[in-house]
Amino acid sequence: MVVKIRLSRLSRRHQPLYNIVVAQARSARDSKPMEVLGTYDPTPRTPLASRDTPEKVFDPATQKMVPYKPRRYKDIKLDFTRTKYWLGVGAQPSDGVQDMLKMLGLWEGRPGTAEALGKGEVAGKSK
Amino acid sequence: MPPRTPSTFTLLPPTPSIYTHCSSCLKREFSSTPIAKTRLRRQMFAWLQGPGESFRHPLPKSTNYLSAYDRRGKLLREGEHTPEGRDDLRPFPLNQHFVSESILSEPLRQEIWRRVQVEKKSVRTVSVELGVEMRRVGAVVRLVELERRVREEAKPLALPYARAIHEMLPTTPFEPGRITPHESINDLPVHPLTDQQIFYPTSESRAFNRTDAGRVFSGAPRLLDDQDIAQGHPSVEPWTNTKPEKVGRGENTIDVLKPADARIPHPHLIAYAQDQRDPALRDDEAEIKRRYAQRLLDDAESRAEARAKKIAVDEAKKTRIETDRWQFVVTDVKVSRQGTGTDGRGSASPGYRYGVPHEDRKKGQVKIPTRVEV
Repeated sequence: MVVKIRLSRLSRRHQPLYNIVVAQARSARDSKPMEVLGTYDPTPRTPLASRDTPEKVFDPATQKMVPYKPRRYKDIKLDFTRTKYWLGVGAQPSDGVQDMLKMLGLWEGRPGTAEALGKGEVAGKSK
Repeated sequence: MPPRTPSTFTLLPPTPSIYTHCSSCLKREFSSTPIAKTRLRRQMFAWLQGPGESFRHPLPKSTNYLSAYDRRGKLLREGEHTPEGRDDLRPFPLNQHFVSESILSEPLRQEIWRRVQVEKKSVRTVSVELGVEMRRVGAVVRLVELERRVREEAKPLALPYARAIHEMLPTTPFEPGRITPHESINDLPVHPLTDQQIFYPTSESRAFNRTDAGRVFSGAPRLLDDQDIAQGHPSVEPWTNTKPEKVGRGENTIDVLKPADARIPHPHLIAYAQDQRDPALRDDEAEIKRRYAQRLLDDAESRAEARAKKIAVDEAKKTRIETDRWQFVVTDVKVSRQGTGTDGRGSASPGYRYGVPHEDRKKGQVKIPTRVEV
């Protein structure tokens, strides 16, 4: 049976939080996985202010000091070593995880596909 | 039925007396209810018209507590311009142990803010210079910043309230030439580990010092003599012993209790006092001050260095990927069998564990924070 790297939703209503897990493909989404590789929080969070956070910044467009607006972030925690191991032994990432791994440079496409050979996006997967 | 003549009691306005002192009472013609003339009420009006009269127009620049006046309403201290002593600052005549503590005066607040934000002095330095605790210095800077922002946004400020409070409470003044310390700045809170009584046999041939006591309280083994900086190494000051050390395993890991010299808010003042008593430096006040400033500078530098190092280590584990709308912050974590545990339910590894229910609905779980880490 196929081993997949996929997301498993473990949170309350309207508060999504995911574990990035390694599991058998036919097992239930939220069942106990073979391994947990990390977490993914899809809600954009505002970083906490530190003592280095400026209160105001210079805006070149208006030539004025404007209140500093922090850039929001989405938090991903991932064990890179274990992810590489599981990919190496043939675990297949789900679509969502695949995008994430592509972004991190851990995934080049399925072996033998055009994507992996560097011939552009696979048909039907273009963004 | 003959017309009823109103009784004289309701027609006549009540004669002004100490029982009918208020204007609304004098106008009250409709009520036939006599005001209860209790002993306490009589005493209250007697006081209001007697000794209490002096509080109708309170002395300016004085707290005007009851204890500052005698039974006849006469000010006890010499003259109105004499500064208030400890005896004048007891607001409750029946509680002689309660003495009203000073709050920061407005000039002092502004001076604290100026030294930290304009002169860019460290909180530690300002605390020592003005005799205000470091936490209070931080709070003042934050509050003055907030006040300035509120003024900038032209929002209303509760100034009459602030003025009234400052008139009612003793305040610590600020005079540039003569600094009045506001409070004790080097107090050490009692550490919970030191609550226990321990019988600890120790050898007579070796000095049992504060470092050893801290280790005994934390259950850490004794240091070897060559590692113990307080053991025959007078050149090293105990207050520099701030390197954190852990003891215990797993969930029972605790920090080793450091000697009080290292835990007090201003440990460098010990070295400063030692310099002042040093016969070699008796007449060299400038050198003492230079050493003190140098120590502060070194301390601030090492702290900044440690902080920068920690930030760099944390940042090295992170990959930041920019997108149009937000950033992805990817942290490299380690999944280990130790963290996950043999049953896969341990909490030290990343990820939310399976088969472990949320505890926040469980009986006895307090969701309101009971303490704030500062």
